[in-house]
Amino acid sequence: MANITKKVSWSSRADESGATGEGTPLLNGSEQPRHSRQLSEGRSIFQIGRLSTVDLEEEITSDEDSLRGRPKEIPHNEKLLSLKFESLDYDNIENQLFLEEERRMSYMGFRCLEISRWVVCGLIGFLTGLIACFIDIVVEELAGIKYQVVKQNIEKFTEAGGLSISLILWAVFNSAFVMVGAIIVAYFEPIAAGSGIPQIKCYLNGIKIPRVVRLKTLVVKVCGVICSVVGGLAVGKEGPMIHSGAVVAAGVSQGRSTSLKRDFKIFEYFRRDTEKRDFVSAGAAAGVSAAFGAPVGGVLFSLEEGASFWNQMLTWRIFFASMISTFTLNFFLSIYHNKPGDLSSPGLINFGRFESDSVAYNLYEIPLFIAMGAIGGILGALFNVLNYWLTIFRIRYVHRPCLQVMEAMLVAAVTATVSFTMIYFSNDCQPLGPEHNEEYPLQLFCADGEYNSMATAFFNTPERSVRSLFHNQPGSYNPLTLGLFTLTYFFLACWTYGLAVSAGVFIPSLLIGAAWGRLFGILLASITSNATIWADPGKYALIGAAAQLGGIVRMTLSLTVIMVEATGNVTYGLPIMLVLMTAKIVGDYFVEGLYDIHIKLQSVPFLHWEAPATSHWLTAREVMSSPVTCLNRIEKVGTIVDVLSNTSTNHNGFPVVVQVAGSDEPAKLCGLILRSQLIVLLKHKVFVELARSRLNQRKLQLKDFRDAYPRFPPIQSIHVSQDERECMMDLTEFMNPTPYTVPQETSLPRVFKLFRALGLRHLVVVDDQNRVIGLVTRKDLARYHLGKHGLEELQLAHT
Amino acid sequence: MSLHKHSCLLVLAVFNIYPAVFGDGVNLAVSDPADKPRQTSSLSPAVVVNPPPDPLFSLNLLSSLPEDPEISDYCSELLHIFGQLYVDYVTCLVPAARPVKVCQNCYSSFGSLKNIYTNISSDQEGPGNVSCRDSLLRSDRLMLVYLMYSNLVGIWSKSACDNCITEGGQSLTNDTLFFLTTHNQTLTCFEKYKEGNHSQLCTNCKSPYKDLNELYSGMEKNQTLCIDIEDAMNMTRRLWSKYYNCSFPREETVPVIAVSSFMLFLPIIFYLSSFLHSEQKKRKLIHPKRAKSYASLMNIQDKLS
Repeated sequence: MANITKKVSWSSRADESGATGEGTPLLNGSEQPRHSRQLSEGRSIFQIGRLSTVDLEEEITSDEDSLRGRPKEIPHNEKLLSLKFESLDYDNIENQLFLEEERRMSYMGFRCLEISRWVVCGLIGFLTGLIACFIDIVVEELAGIKYQVVKQNIEKFTEAGGLSISLILWAVFNSAFVMVGAIIVAYFEPIAAGSGIPQIKCYLNGIKIPRVVRLKTLVVKVCGVICSVVGGLAVGKEGPMIHSGAVVAAGVSQGRSTSLKRDFKIFEYFRRDTEKRDFVSAGAAAGVSAAFGAPVGGVLFSLEEGASFWNQMLTWRIFFASMISTFTLNFFLSIYHNKPGDLSSPGLINFGRFESDSVAYNLYEIPLFIAMGAIGGILGALFNVLNYWLTIFRIRYVHRPCLQVMEAMLVAAVTATVSFTMIYFSNDCQPLGPEHNEEYPLQLFCADGEYNSMATAFFNTPERSVRSLFHNQPGSYNPLTLGLFTLTYFFLACWTYGLAVSAGVFIPSLLIGAAWGRLFGILLASITSNATIWADPGKYALIGAAAQLGGIVRMTLSLTVIMVEATGNVTYGLPIMLVLMTAKIVGDYFVEGLYDIHIKLQSVPFLHWEAPATSHWLTAREVMSSPVTCLNRIEKVGTIVDVLSNTSTNHNGFPVVVQVAGSDEPAKLCGLILRSQLIVLLKHKVFVELARSRLNQRKLQLKDFRDAYPRFPPIQSIHVSQDERECMMDLTEFMNPTPYTVPQETSLPRVFKLFRALGLRHLVVVDDQNRVIGLVTRKDLARYHLGKHGLEELQLAHT
Repeated sequence: MSLHKHSCLLVLAVFNIYPAVFGDGVNLAVSDPADKPRQTSSLSPAVVVNPPPDPLFSLNLLSSLPEDPEISDYCSELLHIFGQLYVDYVTCLVPAARPVKVCQNCYSSFGSLKNIYTNISSDQEGPGNVSCRDSLLRSDRLMLVYLMYSNLVGIWSKSACDNCITEGGQSLTNDTLFFLTTHNQTLTCFEKYKEGNHSQLCTNCKSPYKDLNELYSGMEKNQTLCIDIEDAMNMTRRLWSKYYNCSFPREETVPVIAVSSFMLFLPIIFYLSSFLHSEQKKRKLIHPKRAKSYASLMNIQDKLS
């Protein structure tokens, strides 16, 4: 028993307190039952925390030391929380400056604000649509050139011999494009890697991911996605659109670019986290809607991911941004396709029309669809597990930029090789259709006038492959081709996701699903004698695509609507919903969704919809950090500078306390002030002494805080002389005088709800006399999560 | 006023011809379009009530109309010619179905059919100041003449014959003729070498076949293909690839496999080497400040409770 108590973190504290001699034996005895229950909990936590890390560590003998003293080093795993992530300040700081500004603002001023919100949303939609259009056109042109060159080369060498040269040419082409894409991502902006959906999810959850909404990120993202799609990787350009939309929103709404050092002096009111985050949700929605031609799906995506802070007007504005975005894309694409004014290609991915009678479904097919959903869930879980192990490996071993670039190039080369080999050995020849759906038909060893059917799947951009799987005539693929394609593409896509290139996982998932779905449809038709009732394999391809996508990303409401909108047929709503539900239920049984896995692996303190179940017994006292660094209402500048420059703590919010003069009563809470505010105050030297000496000094306004937003200078860059250190600073005007507080007995779910619903960053825990005894932040809450063995606790780490 | 007159006429006619049960076929065909228009165009209540859903009754009605003044001799003449040409064209089409020669063989008969239809459908008035368009084409629900003609037009446009016929429809285009000549050359070549070893055919006929193929691709790009050419090419290709087996053989399997296995080998080396040589990334754990007095506080609480 004693041995165990030493290992468990909480009970070791109990030890400590025992050592300080505060608890009497009697009291200890009385607490025994409760203590032991926590012990068992703590023990399981402890074991889980260790199990994954034991392998490479020395045997845990001196854990007493390591727990307290020197920092311990462990390999990266998913049970960590990184210190580099901070919360957004979503909560409004109602200090005196704010009230003053509100008083000065006229009625017209508020109206103008409202109007400018709409203008910003319109701009967001427009620019997002333009970016989507740009990506689409560039990808189409570049991919066209690439495939033409390779095709000509293959044709030449089919006749003359030397096809291995074509293979090398193809591989080199791919690697070259991907190299460019990977270099800009790995060396210039690593945050632009991947689809960006996990990052945006985190941002909407209220976490400030460093550099995620910068202009540089946007540029890298757009170029990167072009390179990786043209480079023939098993990726799509849809996920990155969401990230791009978010960056556009964050940029436009601020009316300036810190990177370009241009300030347009507009939208200054929106320069704070609250407004920015609202606009970012509009941007993400606009991105979804441009990517899939699904404006409602975009709104629901933002709702699903950022639902904690929401209001109706915002929803309406977001919908406006989405609509503008999809129709901007539509309009410019129609000009590009020489059909100006024809608004019929609403998204980057166009599933085509499912309207003919042959794609109607019947009641007896619903169980089949549900079965397909289950298959999708299982395959999706497999995909996620494989990708999880791969990502852990990548984080641990492939972390140097040059290695990441090399890895991406290798993946590109192997993708080309595998595709080529598949095409080369495929015997599936199909006659060319009358209207040439195939953009780059490869003949190879097929009879003249026929094309290689494997090549339509591999020798094409993934979007086109998806469409041909949905819409090609029954019989244009044989089952073997589809089976092989599914298998290889599954592993390729799984291998590709998580590389240091910016690219999404939506399209590959759809493609895998469409391939096995079509296979399913063909097999159904072949095992039943009456083939006409299973007429169209395209229908099953669609359901398979939905199932696979649902199994991988596990989105619910928004994904259903996105799929229905992209299909353009509302009658598919029911089967798609059923399929996605089944896929999620089955998949969640094994492992989480891909985005959640990646969020965890990034060690992000992510707050889910609900507090972990069975956590009601935890109270704020156990959750909070303590002791708290507090500041006095009138504080010495030296103290503030010291507190801020303390690198070991790096706190962001400080409760402000007031000492009742003359008495030795402990200080009481009277407000909360943020690091960013203190830095601005120090920069402007708002000291009591100076104010007295220079009466005409301009009063600090909210504008000064906004100008410094969002990149507040670090404390090191602010020079404070020795004399100034002795000055005093009055925080009364600037602090938030009414911070949210909870009593220490509040349960964890209650605290959690406050955080989620109000978007809090700091929550002060006070005792019955309003004395600060602790502070709850996001990381304190996010460390609890429900694992396989009950409640587990994550560890904090530097990353 | 005219409505009244019409209805009276109709009623009269109905009673008049009631005993005459069946008219002759020609008459029926001619008068058919002429009779319905009045029923549909004159919306008098009498007419609406008039035709009951009794086939016998309406047949009676039809046979009454040969002497209908509205369908002129000129129109029935046109109709007759239309019928003749229609039959001609269809007779031409059917034997040209396989191998497809619908454009080369039947363009002239389609041309005349088109002319006569243009005549019928023009709103210029013929002799006697009559326009047959209304009476022949759009007098009834069936609109048989239009329907039949549009079927044939459908066939024509689906076969894309316009691409192979000169503007006026007089002759085949030069491109088409040239293609057909080249095609014939290729076939002659096939014919010549088809005895014995096909590989000889493959080598000897390669150049005419290749020329033909290139010509075809060029025409495909210019969109000057019609079904005749497409079919001829398809057949030739099938002969070449399937029957004579002259497609490219898959003979470089070894180099392709070698190169691809080399490529597939690279990532294994990469991952192994990065596993062995790359320094594993470690995370420094931090121990957060927690309430030190936790246990004692709890004790207090326990005591209180």
